[in-house]
Amino acid sequence: MKPNSVSFESAHVNSPASGCNDTSAIFDRHLLMIGLWVFAGYYLGCKIGFALTFQPHPVSVLWPPNSIVVAALLLMPVRLWWFVLLAAFPAHLAAQLQSDVPPLMIVCWFISNVSEALIGAGLTRYAIGGPLRFSSLRNVGIFCLCVVFIGPFTSSFLDAAFVAWNHWGRDGYWELIRVRLSSNAVSALIIVPLIVTWLTNGVQPLRAASRSRYLEACALFLCLLVVSYVVLYELRAESDLALLFLPLPLLLWAAVRFGALGASTAISIVGFLAIWSASHEHGPFSRETAEQSALSIEIFLIGLTIPLLFLAALIEERATGKNELRESESRFQIVADAAPVLIWMSGVDQRCTFFNKPWLDFTGRSMEQELGDGWLQGVHRDDVQNCLAIYRQAFVARQPFVRQYRLRRNDGEYRWISGQGVPRRDPQGRFAGYIGSCVDVTELVKKDQALRESEERMRVAAEAVNLGIWEWDIIKDEIWATNARRALLGWPASDKIAWNDFISRVHPDDRDRVRHTVDNAIHSGKDFDSEYRLILPDGILRWMSTRGSVQFDEARKPARLLGISMDITSRKQAELDAQRDRAELSHLSRVALMGEMSASIAHELNQPLAGILSNAAAGQRFIDRGDVNLSEIREILNDIIADGRRAGGVVRGIRGMVKKEQVERRSVNLNEVVADALRMASPDAVLRSCQLQTSLDANLPAIQGDPVQLQQVLLNLVINAFDAMRETPTSSRKVLITTELNGDGTIRTSVRDHGVGISENMQDRLFDPFFSTKTEGLGMGLAIVRSIVEAHGGTIEGANVNDGGARFEFVLPINGHSSA
Amino acid sequence: MIPTNSLVFLIDDDPSVRKGVSRLLRAAAFKTEAFASASDFLARDQHTGPACVIVDVRMPGINGMHLQDLLLQQRREEQLVFITGHGNISMCAQAMKAGAVDFLQKPFRDTELLGCVERALVRSAQQRQRGLEKTEARRLLDLLTPREFEVMQLVVTGMLNKQIAARLGTAEKTIKVHRGRVMKKLALESVAELVRLVQTARIAAVT
Repeated sequence: MKPNSVSFESAHVNSPASGCNDTSAIFDRHLLMIGLWVFAGYYLGCKIGFALTFQPHPVSVLWPPNSIVVAALLLMPVRLWWFVLLAAFPAHLAAQLQSDVPPLMIVCWFISNVSEALIGAGLTRYAIGGPLRFSSLRNVGIFCLCVVFIGPFTSSFLDAAFVAWNHWGRDGYWELIRVRLSSNAVSALIIVPLIVTWLTNGVQPLRAASRSRYLEACALFLCLLVVSYVVLYELRAESDLALLFLPLPLLLWAAVRFGALGASTAISIVGFLAIWSASHEHGPFSRETAEQSALSIEIFLIGLTIPLLFLAALIEERATGKNELRESESRFQIVADAAPVLIWMSGVDQRCTFFNKPWLDFTGRSMEQELGDGWLQGVHRDDVQNCLAIYRQAFVARQPFVRQYRLRRNDGEYRWISGQGVPRRDPQGRFAGYIGSCVDVTELVKKDQALRESEERMRVAAEAVNLGIWEWDIIKDEIWATNARRALLGWPASDKIAWNDFISRVHPDDRDRVRHTVDNAIHSGKDFDSEYRLILPDGILRWMSTRGSVQFDEARKPARLLGISMDITSRKQAELDAQRDRAELSHLSRVALMGEMSASIAHELNQPLAGILSNAAAGQRFIDRGDVNLSEIREILNDIIADGRRAGGVVRGIRGMVKKEQVERRSVNLNEVVADALRMASPDAVLRSCQLQTSLDANLPAIQGDPVQLQQVLLNLVINAFDAMRETPTSSRKVLITTELNGDGTIRTSVRDHGVGISENMQDRLFDPFFSTKTEGLGMGLAIVRSIVEAHGGTIEGANVNDGGARFEFVLPINGHSSA
Repeated sequence: MIPTNSLVFLIDDDPSVRKGVSRLLRAAAFKTEAFASASDFLARDQHTGPACVIVDVRMPGINGMHLQDLLLQQRREEQLVFITGHGNISMCAQAMKAGAVDFLQKPFRDTELLGCVERALVRSAQQRQRGLEKTEARRLLDLLTPREFEVMQLVVTGMLNKQIAARLGTAEKTIKVHRGRVMKKLALESVAELVRLVQTARIAAVT
């Protein structure tokens, strides 16, 4: 019923009578047409009314204009009612002025007519809450009450008062009211349904109707015309009144077969004929006085029409109800069959009454086989009991349920099905059984299993290699970690772990670094790895290596940090041991070289010093002995001065100590020297968080030189670079070593750091012996470096780089001999 | 007290050291001769009086340690004082074991060096004295015939004539004659004097 009224409503919107809803075009063509129709209808109605007036009575038996206005108001939206009235007014004037009625009376009549229409239509609309249709008993009841009775009844007082006031007519006040009430009630009963049903149903049902239906309608109305004519026109008032019932079967036929449309049409035919006949003093209603005739016709028509309208409404109501049910059932069937899920329904006896096509296709069985409990034959043996138990339990409690079971597919394979059922109710709200849907979740189950298995494998593998897997939900600040890892860190398996819990386990010296690394990763979105120390609850120190990567949510915000951690304590220990060994070795070799150097320096210096001391002591002794020979003294002093100069020369000439002849000449590849030096320096690099990078020219020719000394040069420069970067942030502690072949037969090797650089006052003295910026430095490093480079015929220089740090480069000739 | 006829030799390849040190020695009234190399020194005749050799460890050619070896081989009595610009413990230990008077690190204090030289000369003089006595004792002992030497060797062990005769398979009377000749040739009065002479000559006793 509801859907139907909705569809009628929409049809109504498109119908010409209501096409004027658009306020922006009040006076458009459509509205004008409506106005014309109202005008014409009203005018024609007046003419018909006049024609059907029983002379000399001033009141017509059937007065159509009022009903036409009511019909128009019922069809039009309320905001356009003024327009209807506006269109009716000229028609009223035009029709009435032709008679000899005084103009004031004409206007008064218009007012009373309009008030009748407004009262009837307004109340109807209010009571129904929308446009009037004759398709339900309720609507017909409201129509009869408001339009047929209340409207004419209330307005008749006004009308009679107007008549009396104008001294028109001869009847008394109450007589006027009765006459007008009955005539207007008949008009409303006959004309309003006729207009409303035809205009709302329109031509649509006529077009859609089959040929047999056309024939039926034609036959019906032909018969009705003939029978009505015979009964209402030819029959005399004295004849058997029982004959008046002759049209009744035809009217019932119209109502039953054609609904409100048929009924209203049939009634209009009978009504017109009856009135027309009586007005022409024919038929059974032709009495002595017009009043009597009119009254009997009116009683006849009212008595006939009201039940008929109710009957038609009842018929329509049933028809639409049935249609709706059928439609909704077929809709359900279509939807159920088109759905990609398996659907079933059961009745109150728990037995299944319906399976959709996908279900039947899935199981490969027929509806007959599945109905009742037949479907259980397809359920896996192990699942039947559980499956039924869930269903029955839910059924008794009328609760929705979810269950999973294996169902045999048409190819014989059991598939995992996830199904849910909900209780369903009939339109009256009574429990009618269950309806449920199922989905094949085999792939999901398999995936789930596979995932679980792979997770398990992963966990086993992770634990086997002592690998911890963890995940940090940044937003919730919750860390998940594998159980083994939790156990290692002394966290109970169920407790929530926050970031700070973790940080508190990190060695205090490493905390800032770890925080910094992780913050960096979160901000940059890049992966990170970090090595740090953990202090376990029992106080034991473990070295961990952690790699992690940031995961983002839909809003591109960092949401999670995922990663693995590995206990690298033993590796780290070995590394540290090796590093210490190497450091000692490298230190020893450096010490040895330094020792040799200083031995030679000492020797060179001590000779003149010995000379000086001896000479001075000799002088003292000569003087003490009183044996002062001035020339002897002068000679002594000369020798002392010479020796002093010589000592100064030694200090100045220290870089000449590595004499060219002492350089062991071998074929050396500088890239290999760099690699060796890096190997030696890398433990230091790790300790100091420095990164060593190289950019080596792969096509370097070999040079002639002493690989150990050259290694010493590089090592010295790299260690200096590390020292220079003590204040540099860890992330930019980089040392870049490059080798490149110059066009002029030399090889340039550079060591570039990102440290403090070379201050201006250091610049000139960088390579001087005993000049050091380091508190523990001897100041020999760069002096020796320079000695070695020069002994190899090369040059070395150091300078600041524009974007921070310093670069030391030395250039060595390939042939080993140069002007230097 | 510096022994008479003593001489100090200085061997160093470094002229500054040579000049300064030899001047210092002269100022301390030592007779001094300086050489730039060990071979120059070896080329000179051996000095007969007490001698001290101040020698640099590191030198081109024959170095200080080498020279010590050579002198020891030739049983020469010069006492060595090592000086070095840069020495180490093992060198020092080796030199001292081989009889060096001292091992000085340049630059050294004058008193240090002079003290060493003095000790070296005293030691050299004593050694020289002992050498002279031994040479004299041996010269006397060389005057004996082989039979007399044989008898003498047994006499210093405290044997009686009869025992010596039994040992050598001759008559006691003969031994008595030999014994008399030995004492006469050596101008000795008693067996005790004979024993001291044999000790000075460092002749292994017959057991």
